[in-house]
Amino acid sequence: MPSQRDVRNRIASVQNIRTITRAMEMVAAARLRRAEQRIEALRPYAEAIRRMTREAASAAGEVRNLPILAVHASDQRAGLLLVAGDRGLAGAFNSQIVRAGVAAGRVHEAEGRTPLYFASGRRPASSLAFRGLDPVAAFTGFSDRPSYADARRIAQRLVAAYVDGEVDRVEVFYNGYVSPISQVVRRETLLPLQQASVMGGEDDAGDGASSSAEEPRRRGLVEYEPDPGEILGRLLPDYVEVSIYRALLESTASEHGARMTAMRNATENAGVLIEDLTLQMNRARQAAITQEILEVVAGAEGVS
Amino acid sequence: MAHTPFQIEVLTPDGEVLGGEAEMVSTRTSLGEIGILANHAPLLGMLEPAELRVYRSEGEVLRFAQSEGYLQVGGNRLMLLAQEIHAPDQLDLAALREQLAEAEQALAAAGEDSERRRAALRERRRCQVFLKVAEGAAS
Repeated sequence: MPSQRDVRNRIASVQNIRTITRAMEMVAAARLRRAEQRIEALRPYAEAIRRMTREAASAAGEVRNLPILAVHASDQRAGLLLVAGDRGLAGAFNSQIVRAGVAAGRVHEAEGRTPLYFASGRRPASSLAFRGLDPVAAFTGFSDRPSYADARRIAQRLVAAYVDGEVDRVEVFYNGYVSPISQVVRRETLLPLQQASVMGGEDDAGDGASSSAEEPRRRGLVEYEPDPGEILGRLLPDYVEVSIYRALLESTASEHGARMTAMRNATENAGVLIEDLTLQMNRARQAAITQEILEVVAGAEGVS
Repeated sequence: MAHTPFQIEVLTPDGEVLGGEAEMVSTRTSLGEIGILANHAPLLGMLEPAELRVYRSEGEVLRFAQSEGYLQVGGNRLMLLAQEIHAPDQLDLAALREQLAEAEQALAAAGEDSERRRAALRERRRCQVFLKVAEGAAS
């Protein structure tokens, strides 16, 4: 049986842990709110880019032979971008991405493609290296607060890898943000760009129906500087950047949500532990007192 | 003389930079300088890094460093999208010089006619223009 002092020390250390986990929960909650706002702030920009891409594409008519749209003749190397965090203590947030990515990599291998990993976040980078699957490129140091420039760096690297023939397709894995307590692993094909998802697809804006009805008429009236094909050539990579930025922002919100939940659980567990230990300490104290009384009584009886 | 104001919307991935009305907006497309007044013909333009000027009125001109982006005019509304838009006094000269040096290095390392080379060229262009806008504010 541990002594009273041992138990008291443990209670003190668990109390310290609880203070820290509670602080981390609070920090995560504050950052989560900011991350949610940034997802909201991106939406109008992302929708405008999409709308312009669609308009430029329909004006360009026959979409020209843009390398970013071209499906490679050989499909031998699959690029997998795993987006997670720089830090742990966030439940399954990091591990479920690595697990999903590596599982997908195995499927690619079984189908005769070599998987090439790209990592965003220190955690997936080190987990991959630990499994002997060294990432081709790792982007780290921003998972708390990604900037558009970070997304652009990743997008440029991936687009270059695709256009220069290093990979034949690119998929991204990230934690989609559903709510503060719910994150789901999302898997999206980034490249080759799905013509259907960029050009056609459902309209996200309400004015979709009217604008598509007007398009043939409008096409002749709108001036393009330079010609629509050239604009499209730059809009498409930007579309990829925006897609990656959205993934980074959602991942960040998910990370803070997951950490908040994990830290709340840890705080609650610490409370339960403290209760148990306090009970144990009281028992130990009571046992010591009983022991002393017994000794005194036994001593007194011996004298009489 | 005062011009007719029209609605503008200036967006970046991090939210709206500017809204409301303006009398004139000037920036640079890939074909050259452009100034937009009210009732401009419908236009979709690709923007180069430039100094963006928004004329709220005769006396009030807002200046920004603007990266590559897009400009759409239609229905007497202007929408301008750019990856980055900063007021000149928010620019960090030291950081920009560093980024410029990085772009030069990337350019030197990139292969002939590769996608990486084109990216480095664009990054260098952005740094040069931003530096110019920042220095314009300093002097």
